[in-house]
Amino acid sequence: MRHQTMTKLLSGTALVAALTAFVASSAFAQEAVIAFDAGELGATSYDPVTSSNLNTATSMIYDRLVEQDADQSFHPHLANSWEEASDGMSWTFKLHEGVTFHDGTAFDAQTVADWIPDYADTENAFLTAAIESVEVIDPLTVKFVMNRPEPNLLYNLGSAFMGIPSQAAVEEMGADYGVAGAVGTGPFKLERFDIGLETVLVRNDDHAWASDLSENQGVAHFERLTFREIPDQSTAFLELKTGGVDVLLGIPTDFIEVLKAEPNVTVIQMPGTGISYMPINVTAAPFDDIRVREATGLAIDQEAIVASIYKGVGAPAHNFLISSLPEATVDPALNVTHDPERAGALLDEAGWTMGDDGVRMKDGAPLEVKLFTQNGSEFTVLTQVVQAQLAAIGMKADITVFDSSTIRDEYKENRHQLAVRAYDWNNSDILDWFFSGERLGYPNVSMWNDPEGEQLNKVAMEGSANSEERIANFTAYHEYILSQHLMVPIYQPTTNLAFNADRVSVPDPVRGTRFRSQTVLDMKPAE
Amino acid sequence: MLLRYVFFRVLMLIPVSISISVVIFAIVHLLPGDPVDNLLRVGSSPADRAALVAKYGLDQPLVVQYVRWVLAMFQGDFGEAIVLRRPVADLIRDNLPYSLRLGAAAFAFSSIVGIALGTVSATTRNAVVEQFVRGFILLGSTVPGFWLALLLILAFAVQLQWFPVSGAKGWDALVLPVLTIGFGGVALVARVTRVALMDARREDFVTLLHAKGLPANTILFRHLMPHAMLPVVTILALRIGWILGGAVTVEFVFGRPGLGSLLIRALGQRDYPVVQGCLLMLALAVMLGTLIGDVAQAAMDPRVREAKT
Repeated sequence: MRHQTMTKLLSGTALVAALTAFVASSAFAQEAVIAFDAGELGATSYDPVTSSNLNTATSMIYDRLVEQDADQSFHPHLANSWEEASDGMSWTFKLHEGVTFHDGTAFDAQTVADWIPDYADTENAFLTAAIESVEVIDPLTVKFVMNRPEPNLLYNLGSAFMGIPSQAAVEEMGADYGVAGAVGTGPFKLERFDIGLETVLVRNDDHAWASDLSENQGVAHFERLTFREIPDQSTAFLELKTGGVDVLLGIPTDFIEVLKAEPNVTVIQMPGTGISYMPINVTAAPFDDIRVREATGLAIDQEAIVASIYKGVGAPAHNFLISSLPEATVDPALNVTHDPERAGALLDEAGWTMGDDGVRMKDGAPLEVKLFTQNGSEFTVLTQVVQAQLAAIGMKADITVFDSSTIRDEYKENRHQLAVRAYDWNNSDILDWFFSGERLGYPNVSMWNDPEGEQLNKVAMEGSANSEERIANFTAYHEYILSQHLMVPIYQPTTNLAFNADRVSVPDPVRGTRFRSQTVLDMKPAE
Repeated sequence: MLLRYVFFRVLMLIPVSISISVVIFAIVHLLPGDPVDNLLRVGSSPADRAALVAKYGLDQPLVVQYVRWVLAMFQGDFGEAIVLRRPVADLIRDNLPYSLRLGAAAFAFSSIVGIALGTVSATTRNAVVEQFVRGFILLGSTVPGFWLALLLILAFAVQLQWFPVSGAKGWDALVLPVLTIGFGGVALVARVTRVALMDARREDFVTLLHAKGLPANTILFRHLMPHAMLPVVTILALRIGWILGGAVTVEFVFGRPGLGSLLIRALGQRDYPVVQGCLLMLALAVMLGTLIGDVAQAAMDPRVREAKT
């Protein structure tokens, strides 16, 4: 009898030991290391209200009222539903019940009412500028009273800058908030923030309010996430290869082939949120002639560029907006496409006749122009191809490369003619940013100031009562801009990430406009 | 005598610091571009821009901006980063330890290995050893740090997996960056040590020591080394400042924070207060290094104190 008990005890001990070993190994597997996109390095705070630079880890700490998907549709998150008044002058949000912050305080209508006014006098004030006041209807219903209709409100509310912090934590930490600590309702809590090096997050075991962009509605599969800042792409790649990093965000297109050759690496391509393009300075001769501008656009072969430089990754851009935006669907005749013959005819008509050396001439002067760009191979390679394509229609373009701060001074001083640049923004209000007559030089590199354009801008920006009207107004503004040949659209890159398939699995396609908490909730340790 | 010399040298730091602050401020503000554009986001209006320019005092005459900066610094206030949005003192405090750790380790490594190699190459009669050391010195003075860093990563982190590829956690993450920076330093120190020792060997007093029948090792360590160390100490002192800010590429490749990376990031964004703060710190390190070198020289060689006081 005694002997038997002893055996049982022993086998029990063995079982406990085996279990401990199992738990230990799975705990190890429940950690993941993610390297930030090189473009989002250097964030110095996790305070969404006051920061001008936030990284991906911010979306793990905070939840937002709404989420935006890759098709630009909006989905409930901390707000279960919402309703816009027919005149656009108020919005009512029904909030998710039972949500708590990492510090244990409750999220409710009063939280929202206390939070929105915090944006006043910050650099992010424009996000809430149309909100006059916030009224608490009941603990789970909140009403935004507007000072003008703002069909863009949901877009703003889904932005990383509108993650909702705990008011108690903000008050307690004061100026240190975001650096010493950050408290949200998100699936992960901030454990440590070593600025410039890494951010360590631990799982929020109370999280039960994921948006419908996540399949997993419970807590995250990973207990711990480490986000690392690795500025050099080659180093980041070697870290992924050797297991120092599990997920690499923001991979340049020219790295994709190298990564795909690695047996343990899987690459995911998401629709991008930006465009590479060539603005044309309409005030600088010969581009004050609309025919020369149109011919310049017809010289660029977007399809050839996608095939040769980007090996077929991404898509050609034929107008100024990313194709998932409804305002990108314009009159097909206005889309900019390759047609060198028509370009030649237009230049002939404008008086620029082909010279013996392949450069066009007018009144004894050659068609020689300045082509500016920024340093970085993503710009210089594309600019050289553009230069070659312009040469094919008889335009000699001389390339000058600047750093990103100096080139803005060149634009402001109106010393430019053509430039190759890129933007990253998934909203049609980018048209206002780059073409409003209020911002000549930079960001309005085209130096375009036109009464009809200004009128269409005003209607699009402030005269839309609801989202249908806003789409129609921005489409009209976009079409007018295209008709004036102010820039040449070139390329829509994809956003790429890679992961070590021996260690983790990342769902493909990635839901949302970029890699954020909804994807991390569905991320699992590899089996 | 030595104390008087040190006091005089420290006093000299005041006018030097003031002129350096003027030069730094002028260079930073004369660069094309400005920090406010880096704060604007899609949707900011020209009025928002003007408000920001006014908020950071960038609309004031440069002289006024300079005086404000210097006055604040006398109260220990380095100002607030415009783009990075934190007190400059905090940013420096966060980054300095990484630079100090890397700098101190690289300094120790290049001093010890450099002096040892230089001594071996100056005293050995073995042609193979001498050729090897001379080859190493040549290689170390010419190989670019960026390339060496990647080579070390490929060999010791990817193939052998002895050390992590990048990062700044733990002593093992320090090894490859120290080797990268130290390599050039070792070559420099070895070269100076070698030349100094060979010169010293030709002095008359050495012939006398040999004639007295002293053992070669005693002559080397008791008499030659102290004599030859003067130029070595000067070189090492000058490297103190360099080693703090000169690690930019190494910090970049190994993904380490540090003063160099902070400076480069701030420079790209024209974050004036941060650039000024970092440059001032580096200038201070160079001045202190030179001071330490001069004082050490004066302590070691009475002729120096007499000539300079």
